[in-house]
Amino acid sequence: MNWRIRRIAAFAYRNFIFSKRNLFAFFEILFWPAVGIVSIGLMGDFLELSADLRSFILTGAIVSGVLQVTQLDVSYGLLYDIWSKSLKQTFLAPVHPSDYIIGSWIVGVARGVLTYVLLALFSSWAFRFYVADTMAAGIALFGVLLNALIIGMFVNYVIFMFGQRADIITWSVSVLEMLVCGIYYPVTYLPPFVQRIAELIPLTYFLEYFRAGYGYRPVYGMLLAKGFGLSVVYIALLFLVLGRAYERACINGMIVRLSE
Amino acid sequence: MNAYTNCIIETSGITKTFVMGHWKKRRTEALRGVDLCVRTGEIFGILGPNGAGKTTLMNILISLLRSDSGVVRVMGREVTHRFPASIKRRMNMCSGNPNFPWSLRPSEILRFYAMLYGVPRPERDRRIERYLHEFELERYADVHFDELSSGTKQKIALAKSLLNDPEILLLDEPTVGLDPDIALKTRELIRRIHAERGITILLTTHYMREAEELCDRVAFIRQGRMVALGTRDELTAMTKTADLEGVFLELAHP
Repeated sequence: MNWRIRRIAAFAYRNFIFSKRNLFAFFEILFWPAVGIVSIGLMGDFLELSADLRSFILTGAIVSGVLQVTQLDVSYGLLYDIWSKSLKQTFLAPVHPSDYIIGSWIVGVARGVLTYVLLALFSSWAFRFYVADTMAAGIALFGVLLNALIIGMFVNYVIFMFGQRADIITWSVSVLEMLVCGIYYPVTYLPPFVQRIAELIPLTYFLEYFRAGYGYRPVYGMLLAKGFGLSVVYIALLFLVLGRAYERACINGMIVRLSE
Repeated sequence: MNAYTNCIIETSGITKTFVMGHWKKRRTEALRGVDLCVRTGEIFGILGPNGAGKTTLMNILISLLRSDSGVVRVMGREVTHRFPASIKRRMNMCSGNPNFPWSLRPSEILRFYAMLYGVPRPERDRRIERYLHEFELERYADVHFDELSSGTKQKIALAKSLLNDPEILLLDEPTVGLDPDIALKTRELIRRIHAERGITILLTTHYMREAEELCDRVAFIRQGRMVALGTRDELTAMTKTADLEGVFLELAHP
């Protein structure tokens, strides 16, 4: 195993222990997402929605849970070190911020897939949710997991730049993104300028692709090409700026201040 | 006393100014041109009053900070602007009042950091077992970090700093806040580590007796400048004082 893989494995190992030992991890994976599913499902019952429409909006609730759980893992990778004031200890080692990101994301992917499976099973049992095309759902799910990586990387970048006071965005960016990308509705229902923003976010295309199987005609074409294309561009760009932000943090003393 | 060779750490004219605040900038000059040569295999002390720039200097030497100007060389390589991983792998640091992730247990902390330093698996397990035993940490195997006493936390920090078998070890106030008996044990550990491995140790401390007991040479820093450098005897002779405490009182305030 080479050095880089060992470092990535170290962060995956640490995040796994945090998840295993943290009571709130249960709330993140099951409680809050399940509350969302029950609310949406009951609303669907009340509105007497067809099976297709019901699955359409439940997809939004499930994706919301997956996105939140996975991006939190990536964001928490850095935040755990800041909260326990051990960031300095970690960066004494030959570590690059990308090691943090990838190691944490690996655990996030495992938790995200678990969240998807559990919520889909629960939704199908309680509200007759169904997966129209398993292969398409798998591809779209991978896209959502990549989108969670992008959010986590962005959170890490902002924290390196502005310090711990910026940690509030950990919980707000993903919620805002879901709103803009049409989590429960087609983006055509949004004001035109918000639609333009939505077109720049990969999640928009993955949500469309997820829901295409429920008799819904997507607003955009080439959904996967756009979704994965944008994801690759953002991930590459964020790796680059994260490296720069880390260097800047070494120059202005942010790394040391985040450990005090 | 070790047979010293060349400088394993060398700095020339390094400066560091911190700029704080977004609207109203505040500038603090932490280092104002420090020249230093730490010889291979010695225990080198960095002394000075609070705010003198000791920790800033240590942070620059271990890559957590970049200097504004000047040159830093470690193990013969210039690391002023970019600290290569190949050098970082051969160094480590232990600070006073250490912090590690709260919910991890001692063996998990050591495993995590050993992985970060790229120690391969069979060797990693061997070292973790060895240090848990050597630092009497076995009985805390199931205790989370935040439930441990200061002394035990310090032992974990020391054990962690040895995991990668470093050639250079930086100790930033390793006995601060410890009870006298634990501080004594920590000093004995440092002496033993140095004697057994012959590694170069850089030490900052506020305890002059500690510096006298441990250090081969001492640099005295005041307001970001090095004002004296030498062995204990050289410094006491220079200041006409009896011990390093006298040297401190003489040099701490201009």
